[in-house]
Parts: sequence; C-alpha cells; structure tokens
Amino acid sequence: MSDARDDIITVGLLSEGTHDPGTPPAGIRRAPTGVDGLATEHLIVNMGPQHPSTHGVLRMLVELDGEEILNAEVTLGYLHRGIEKLAEHRRFDALGTLMDRGDYVSGIMGETAVALAVERLMEIEVPRRARWIRVMMAEINRIATHLLWYGTMGLDTGAMGPFLYAMRDRESLLDILEAVSGARMMFNYVRPGGVVADLPAGIDTKIREFCDAFDTYVEEHDAILSGNEIFQARLKGIGVIDAEKALAFGLTGPNLRASGVDFDLRKKRPYDAYDEMEFDVPLGSTGDAMDRFSVRMEEMRQSSRIIRQCIEGMPEGEHTAKVPKVLKPPAGEVYTSVESARGEVGIHLVTDGGTSPYRMHYHGPSLYALQALEDLMPGHLIADGVVMIGSTDIMLGEVDR
Amino acid sequence: MLPDANEIRTLLAGSGVAAEVDTVALGTVARVSASDAIDALAAFNAEGYESLVDFDGMDTGEAIELTWRLRSYSMDCEAYLKTTVAYDAEIHSAWNIYASALMPERETAELLGLRLAGHPNPKRLFTTDGIPPLLRKDVPIRSVEEVKNR
Repeated sequence: MSDARDDIITVGLLSEGTHDPGTPPAGIRRAPTGVDGLATEHLIVNMGPQHPSTHGVLRMLVELDGEEILNAEVTLGYLHRGIEKLAEHRRFDALGTLMDRGDYVSGIMGETAVALAVERLMEIEVPRRARWIRVMMAEINRIATHLLWYGTMGLDTGAMGPFLYAMRDRESLLDILEAVSGARMMFNYVRPGGVVADLPAGIDTKIREFCDAFDTYVEEHDAILSGNEIFQARLKGIGVIDAEKALAFGLTGPNLRASGVDFDLRKKRPYDAYDEMEFDVPLGSTGDAMDRFSVRMEEMRQSSRIIRQCIEGMPEGEHTAKVPKVLKPPAGEVYTSVESARGEVGIHLVTDGGTSPYRMHYHGPSLYALQALEDLMPGHLIADGVVMIGSTDIMLGEVDR
Repeated sequence: MLPDANEIRTLLAGSGVAAEVDTVALGTVARVSASDAIDALAAFNAEGYESLVDFDGMDTGEAIELTWRLRSYSMDCEAYLKTTVAYDAEIHSAWNIYASALMPERETAELLGLRLAGHPNPKRLFTTDGIPPLLRKDVPIRSVEEVKNR
C-alpha cells in the first residue's frame, strides 16, 4: 500500500513529513487515505455520432484524464453518400440537387458554385437580374444558416432561449425561400444560366418586412448571448486559432476571418453581382471562439444590408439565359468557388464533352475546420471542446459528401 | 487571381524541380513528376503560398491525376500543382508542409485506391473496410435494376 502512494501529491497536510499510513489494525482492510490515494485512469469516450453537441453525425473519440482532453480524433463517414461519384451520373442541370444535399443548410451557395462552373465551361452569359436574384437568395440563405448556428451555439453553452428566437426568425426566412424556390431545404433553384423561376409577385414586401424586423432582432440576438457574462466566459480565449494556424489548416470563411485574415471571396473574387453590392467584411483579431461568434453576428447584419440593396435595385429582365434543355459543355476543366456561410465551397469540374461530368470534386470547408479541431482540443476541458465544435460551425453533410 | 506562369517556373526551378507550367481554363497549372511533387509543394510553401485550400484526385482512365490547389494570401493568387501517379501507387503525405493535407489525403487515397506513406494517421476516412475505391472509373454505381432485383 505504501509503495503505491509515493507519487501522490497530497494537499492540505497538517504537518510536513512522510505520508505513510503504516499497517492497518486487524479487521480493517486498508488505511483511510482519502481520495488522494486513488489512481485515475485515462478514459476513451465516444462523443457521437448521436451526441447533440456534435451538430450532425460527427463521432469524436476523445481520450480524457478526468475532464481534460488529452487527445481527440474524428471518425467520419456516417453521412457518406458518394456525392462525387453520383455526380458522374447526373446531367449538368441536376448537379444542384446533389449540392443541396451536401451542405444541406446553405443549399443556394452550393448550387451557385456548380452553376458557375458549368457556365464558365459553356461560356454562358447570365442575365443581370438572375445574378441579382442569386445574390439575394444566397444572402437570405446565409442568414438562415447563421441563425441555426447561433441557436445551436447557445445550446452548446447551456442557453436554451436563443435557439427558440433564432428558429422564429429562421422560419420567416424559410417561408421566403419556399415562396421563391418551392422548397424549404432542397431548393434546386439556381441552375446553369440563371435561376429556375422568377421572383413571385409580392415577395419584395415580404423580404422588406423581414429585413425591418430582423435589423432589430439581430441586435437582440447579439445582446442575449454576447452580453451574457457566462457566455463570454465560455467563449473568450477558447479555441484560439491564430492566423498562422488558420492558414496551415486551410481554413476559409468566417473561421479564417475571425483570425484576422481579410479574405472574402465575395470581395476578392467577386462572382454573380457581388461587385455591385456594398458591404463590409468583419474581421476578428485573436481567433478565439468569441471572435468567430462576433464575425458571424456581423455577417448577418451585412447580409441584411445586401438583401435590402437587392430589393431596392433589382434590375428588370430575364431570370435565366437561353440554355439548351440538355447541357453539353465542351471538354475542359474549371474550378469555381463561392463564399458559403461556412467558408469556401469549391467545385473542381472536369468534363469530357458528354452530358454528365467526368469528375466533380466538391470541396467543403468544414472538413478543413475539423482538422483544426483535432489540433485544438487536446489540453482543454471537454465542455470547451463542445464550444470549439460549435464555434467553428461544421456541417457534416459537406464533410462526408 | 492568376499568378504569372513565368513566376511559377522560376519558383520551381529554384528548388531544382522540373515543371511544365501553363495558363489554362483552370488557372496557372504546374505539372511535375510524382517524385518531385513534395519538393514542389515545399517550394510553393517557401515562396509565399501559405495555404493548401484543396486537394483531390481523378481517375483519367490510364492513371490517377492529383491536383493541389494552393493559395497565397500575401500575393492574392491561386496556383495549381498537378501530378500523375499509377493505379495503386504510393503517394507521400505533404502534411508536414501543409497541415491541411491530412484528411484530404486520406480521402483521396481511400476513394482512388492509393497507398499513403509518411502520414501520421493513414486510415480510411469515410468508408468501411472492403468497400472498393469508389471514384475509380472501373467501380460501377449500383443501377436501379440491381437494387430492384436484390
């Protein structure tokens, strides 16, 4: 017994000296040494795939010493549908349906990425109105995506209320998306050449009403969480990704901008009508979870600003270019990327002159964010690990594809 | 933005890597031999291409073509590096040059049937053991008829 106690650090000893319990008297099994005498083992815990804080079907194996994470490994593939393989058997106008099921919360952006690739191969000139509609829908979708993230970020840190408020606003956005595209989630609205249908009558009033309400609501959202001391304590200084690490792990989007790197594809590589829009790109400084939170909150305000500009200045004209029923781009290879709500969604499209792609690679930003998480989590408490997962806003649909 | 093909040529030649550099529809593409790929990536990294933003592979019908998409935030441009390897070849990991290669390399190796060397965790990423490399052209997808007749 005494041998095993050599390495124990004892706290609050009454006097200095050796800590030898001696031999217990007859009838006593072991000396009452207190909890200091207990050896702890490392525990391997499976977080997920059904854990509520893993935002989908992420399974994370964590090695724990008490509550501290020593090592973390992500296990993927629970949502692997082989989107890249299926794309080789779809017509070009049907690729959007696959993209909707990739990042299933921000479908419009994914559809845009693939439409841009086909348009560049076929040299299709997209009408100005179609480009404006795309921008407007993408920004509506961006707010809807960020609201879902905002709600779950609250849940991750133990706040129930914000989720309900976020869902209230998200519902209005989904109503708008449904009125325009016919679907709440799997839109298939953006097609090569433009968009599938023109805006329905009266939608501008609905969108304007939303923007008016949301400009107030977003301040409430921000105040409820970022004004909360407990929330601040849970996020500040947690999961710090400095600029160097962000670049090494290939992070894009809000996660990169929170680290202070000024790179937004909408500004740096303008596509659709973003070169005609006025908006600011929020940046963080330290790259901690709080910075990622603030960047996304500000992005929602900027998105609302862009939506207003679209509503006020929506040009007249066609909603789609004249494209053949069966698209047949010439043999070639292009790479297009768009600024999705989670970062850069890239499409590497290779064609052989047929009616479906020869190869379509779908680059999802969340896979790269996950690699950073594996690196970040060791050394932190498990509750902070949950905050890190939440703050990087991963989406398993585009990780597994 | 597109970097100048000559710049890339000089950049790679400085590290003794022989490359064919062209500006095509994809962008500025440098083609190197498979054995030079890691040296070429190291050269890109040393010359200001801080980030590997995408890595993927393609079955061309004769071999596997690998594409690295590199971005320089300081120079605000993107360059592509391509190489061709044989089926079932062993590719060397670039993770200690670009940490972002970790998972995309596992994915590419798994889905195109390549072997991965020098990787800290060379496991399958998405599919379970026994599933063939799905992105190979000789692996068919299950047809509607086959599912009906099961």
